Amino acid sequence: MIAAGKFVPMVYKRSLVTPMAILGGLFYSESNRLADQMAAGKLHYKDANSELNKSMKIQFSRPEPQYPGHVPLYTLERILMFLGSSVGSYFHPERNEFIVGLGESTALPVVLRHIQKTMLSDPIGRQILKEKPRITSTSLDLDYLRALPPNTIGHTYIKWLDREGVSPDTRVAVKFINDPELAYIYQRYRECHDFYHAVTGLPIIIEGEIAVKVFEFMNIGIPMSGLGALFAPLRLKPSQKERLFNIYYPWAIRTGVNSRPLMNVYWEHMLEKDMDEFRTEMNIEQPPDLRILRKEYFEKLKRKKLIM
Amino acid sequence: MFRTPFPTTVKLGLLRLKNTTPQLQDVVIVGGGPAGLSVLAALKNSSKTAHLSCKLVEGGDLNKIRNFDETAYSNRIISLTNKSMRFMQKIGSWKHLNLDRMQFYDKVAAYDSSSHEALIEFTNDAINYDPMGAMCEVVNIQKSLIARIDELDQSDCLVDNVKVEAIEESTSEIDWPIVKLSNGDAYQTRLLIGADGYNSPVRRYAGIESRGWAYDSFGTVGVLKLASDQYNLVSLQRFLSSGPLAILPLPEDDATFVWSAKTEVASILKSITNDKIFVALINAALRLEETDLKYALNKLQVNPDDTSVIEDLQWRIELFEPNEQLDIPVVIGVQPGSRASFPLKMSHADSYVGPRVALIGDAAHTIHPLAGQGLNMGQADVASLVAAIETGIDRGLDIGSTLVLEPYFAQCFPYNHALLGVCDKLHKIFSNDVYPIILVRSFGMRFMNSLTPIKDFMIKTLSV
Repeated sequence: MIAAGKFVPMVYKRSLVTPMAILGGLFYSESNRLADQMAAGKLHYKDANSELNKSMKIQFSRPEPQYPGHVPLYTLERILMFLGSSVGSYFHPERNEFIVGLGESTALPVVLRHIQKTMLSDPIGRQILKEKPRITSTSLDLDYLRALPPNTIGHTYIKWLDREGVSPDTRVAVKFINDPELAYIYQRYRECHDFYHAVTGLPIIIEGEIAVKVFEFMNIGIPMSGLGALFAPLRLKPSQKERLFNIYYPWAIRTGVNSRPLMNVYWEHMLEKDMDEFRTEMNIEQPPDLRILRKEYFEKLKRKKLIM
Repeated sequence: MFRTPFPTTVKLGLLRLKNTTPQLQDVVIVGGGPAGLSVLAALKNSSKTAHLSCKLVEGGDLNKIRNFDETAYSNRIISLTNKSMRFMQKIGSWKHLNLDRMQFYDKVAAYDSSSHEALIEFTNDAINYDPMGAMCEVVNIQKSLIARIDELDQSDCLVDNVKVEAIEESTSEIDWPIVKLSNGDAYQTRLLIGADGYNSPVRRYAGIESRGWAYDSFGTVGVLKLASDQYNLVSLQRFLSSGPLAILPLPEDDATFVWSAKTEVASILKSITNDKIFVALINAALRLEETDLKYALNKLQVNPDDTSVIEDLQWRIELFEPNEQLDIPVVIGVQPGSRASFPLKMSHADSYVGPRVALIGDAAHTIHPLAGQGLNMGQADVASLVAAIETGIDRGLDIGSTLVLEPYFAQCFPYNHALLGVCDKLHKIFSNDVYPIILVRSFGMRFMNSLTPIKDFMIKTLSV
């Protein structure tokens, strides 16, 4: 070590090393090891089964899956999945596999247990966990939804699906969450995501997606939504950022905190309910329509260009 | 008899003629609970104190206890430590206990509803075999003590079906307190022993302040039927955020429970009339998380006869994954009419002794039932008080003087105070769901569970 040009000898470190070595030598000496073995009766004992046991030992095995489709992961794999999918979803947020990987690798049991608690404290939430309904294009009669009166939740939902060109079947099954019930909770969150879009009327273009994510994070607490809300805007254009920070973030935070838990909504039973009534019941405000805002912005831009 | 410094027996014959004049006694014990009866039995059992003229005044009917022969268990069941059992053997009441109605256990396990891994187990050394304790009905203990008193031919000492009307200071030249009874009799006593429970009239007479606090909790007790008779060696306790729930073994497939719970939870428990709902709730409280339990209790608060709770809890119990380290019993029934509840409080008298007064048992201290120490503390009081009186007699002192009684106070108070404090703090640490406290306590539980010397020390202080 050189301090202010003066050479300080490193000998003082030895003063620690030597007693440690002596102490260690006392405790972990060969005679102690032998004495321990003798006390345990293993000194002159050879386990007759040791050879057999060796061959029985399986070197590397995954735990048994807890539910159909379950892939139990090791912690290291989970960390790698998180790193890979987070980088991937930053650069390619439109690619589903990254979002799926990011979502499942960050859905820590602590967070899911919290959601489980919210659901178990509510009669409807309990009913959902008991019946475990799935939302697919077969479980929902899409033609029936189209026939519903225009202001019902079902109709708004199908209108939104048609407008955005998505189907309920685009939701992938959960694979990497260990506990079956927690896996179902995450699955439910994923399948209900489209309903959150429909209720808020926000489109699947990136700004709408970010706004819904913030709303979800404040209401449900899924960490991936929070990460999305933190990092996704970094890639946006200034005009998009301005719209988000001035209009959609305040809306999402306010509404997410004030509204009732979205996980406790049995959407399948709510399809015929009036949307406005539902929004007042849940205490959800509707944000300004993003597509219209964008249209206005682009027209303004066009006009500016024309004038110039 | 030359040792007797008391001329009471001579005087008694003269004074009995007048009903208005109080009879003189050496010792009057107020209260025929386990503590009061133990004092009488211990005094009569000891060769040094057997000559003292004693009376035990009890408001209830002791013959009912003497002839108790119901097959069903009574719901007042307590845990006896080895120390208490040894004391019972010493005073000779042990052989009168009905051992068929008692259950010895050799393991105590406690776990926490708020954290999965937190578990602490106390097991006694298998080589120096001694049970951890025994569960025993209070009536069984009382019966054995009365049988011992009868055996010693001292049944005359028991004055039952009589209430204490007043305790007065004497105005005559003898300064002994006068106990006036509802049947018109009065005793003037050299030493008045208060074994008369929490609202002790003796304590009030002596002007001794009792300090403490109510827990805003009630203990609910009852007798349960378990699905298996293989379970009766473990005493189990789960700490819920509203208070601890203990399942304590009785012979074969019976068990008793003590559910200490906040007043609002206890009142819900009390309002449940359907035993099936109650059984489902107990099973849930032994296994499920707080959320499920709270949901069920909220539902039952609205409607105490809501049978949908059973099915709902059953669904959660089926999903429950048992901890391999801990075998939790399945409750299948509750003995009809055995459920009862009582308020929980901590109190400790400033002093156990005064001039011609000694307090024992609940009159001196009440404790939270979570460690099962209440009756055992009373037994320790009795042992110490009788030892103090013996010493006093050896030295030729007046047994009512504080000089004789103070060693009893000095010996018992610090130990009892420490135990009261520990149980009070345990109750406060475990009866909440503040997250940092949960973290610390579950760490503490696991840490303690792995430290054998500390566990051995705890076993030594609490059970041996």
